[in-house]
Amino acid sequence: MKTFLQFALFMLIAFVVILMAITLGEVGAWYFAWLIGTTMIVLIAAAGGMLLDAQDEQAARKAAAAARHD
Amino acid sequence: MHDPSVVDLSRLQFALTALYHYLFVPLTLGMSFMLAAMETVYVVSGKAIYKQIAQFWSKLFLINFALGVATGLTMEFEFGTNWSFYSSFMGDIFGTPLAIEGLMAFFLESTFVGLMAFGWDRLKRGQHLAVTFLVALGSNLSALWILIANSFMQNPEGAHFNPVTLRMELTSLPDLIFNHDAQAKFVHTSIAGYVTAAIFVAGVSAWYLLKNRHVELARRSFRMAALFGVLATAGVITLGDALGFIGGQAQPTKLAAMEGLWKTEQAPMPFNAIAFPSQKDHVNYGVIQVPYALSLLVTHSLDGTVPAIDELERTAAERIRNGIPAVSALQVLSAKPGDADALAQFQAHEKDLGYGFLVQRYAPDVTKATEADIAAASRDTIPQVAPVFWSFRAMVVLGLCMLAFFVLALIYTMRNNVERQRWLLKIAVCMIPVPFIANETGWLVAELGRQPWTVYGVLPTWMSASTHSLGYMIFSLIGFVSLYTVFIVIEMYLMVRTIRRGPDDEHAPSPSIEPQAARLAGQAEG
Repeated sequence: MKTFLQFALFMLIAFVVILMAITLGEVGAWYFAWLIGTTMIVLIAAAGGMLLDAQDEQAARKAAAAARHD
Repeated sequence: MHDPSVVDLSRLQFALTALYHYLFVPLTLGMSFMLAAMETVYVVSGKAIYKQIAQFWSKLFLINFALGVATGLTMEFEFGTNWSFYSSFMGDIFGTPLAIEGLMAFFLESTFVGLMAFGWDRLKRGQHLAVTFLVALGSNLSALWILIANSFMQNPEGAHFNPVTLRMELTSLPDLIFNHDAQAKFVHTSIAGYVTAAIFVAGVSAWYLLKNRHVELARRSFRMAALFGVLATAGVITLGDALGFIGGQAQPTKLAAMEGLWKTEQAPMPFNAIAFPSQKDHVNYGVIQVPYALSLLVTHSLDGTVPAIDELERTAAERIRNGIPAVSALQVLSAKPGDADALAQFQAHEKDLGYGFLVQRYAPDVTKATEADIAAASRDTIPQVAPVFWSFRAMVVLGLCMLAFFVLALIYTMRNNVERQRWLLKIAVCMIPVPFIANETGWLVAELGRQPWTVYGVLPTWMSASTHSLGYMIFSLIGFVSLYTVFIVIEMYLMVRTIRRGPDDEHAPSPSIEPQAARLAGQAEG
């Protein structure tokens, strides 16, 4: 249920974002938008990879601490 | 007069080569920037796993790149061989972006792709990353110039017809480059490539996770693909709307076909979610409508209307009548270029010259065109509605499916337990063909919807083809289909073989973190 609610919320956010982008204008400076958007997509994807490493390290630290505690 | 079968076969040949080529292109466009993202993490973090990730995916990129180039080269020659009148009529405009594409973008990507493939041990990390970004930029700039050329065919701006040289001539390079259709189409197409690459990487990574192979590589690749894909899909949908709006203004017949609009209706107009359009009867069968939605989607208001096919045919008939004097004046000018009366007549009617050409198919001497000829030519201005209508819907539905998939993938990968969601991983593998189908249907909407024109409102398709024999066309069509099918088989074989083998074991890194077991144990404790 939690996952479904999260999914619904994220889909709603996606639709709101798309709707906002659409209503902001059809004839935009799309070449410029591509430059900015591509840079953002590349950097966010890269940050996602690094975040996964951080999550793994945190989990490993927790596991080590729990083992010491036992 | 062209043999209609030769024109149809020329169209079929171009469509098939373009559709084959377009199976490779989007993956190249997107994968190049995904590689840049992966390598960025390697350069920033210094972790060997990311070098392994970038090297593995770059192998798949290179296979796809090589076959994409091979299938693309023939298409440029096809303009000269099968579309010689088009090339002569439009060469000044069409040749410019294609030449820039070859000299600037293709040389850029071709030069640096070698450094990217063989420079891992010869370049510093930062230098190699710069090379990867240049390959990505070159690939996408290549798409940019080709789409600028294509957009002139969809929405001709920045050129005029010279009645003395009997050719279109470029009047403004900035108008050609900054054509609104070109801007929206480039971004839509480029980002659709990002979505394709993201689905491909997520799907292959999911397959590894299902097989419990190369898990550390697959988890990271899946995470990056999910983020890359969710942002790109939102961008594709946004730009799709912009392209629909711009295309709808420039090509109302395409918009009417996309929406299956036969009869003019009052606002707010309903959206035909499902319908079975009949070209013969000019009606839709089995219609399921969403009230008000079309006005909202297309005009973003409840009182906006969209011209329907009945109205567009009436407008076309008027323009054909106005174009007939332009064509007859042009015939005089081609024999006597200095004829002032003919020039004045031409200039008075030149905006509808293309429509005059349309009726020439039925009345070679346009001055003798009957009302029946004009009616037939005006009916020709409407593209085949059913394939455009359904291709558009397939593209949209598949786009929304991909958005939903990426949102789900993002939820689970951010929770860091995607490898335990076997149902999602199976869906991810099944999703691999989806963006390729969506890309192909998008191409069909754009190009079938442009008919009966090669250059919208200027040059009809029936005039554009070369005058080959039927036998030549059949022979070359079979040749292209056979050769390209071999290319597809080679691509599939190499891709599957490389994926099955996985990353090179000799480069297997020692992850700087505790692998899977400790992480999952930590989660269980948590």
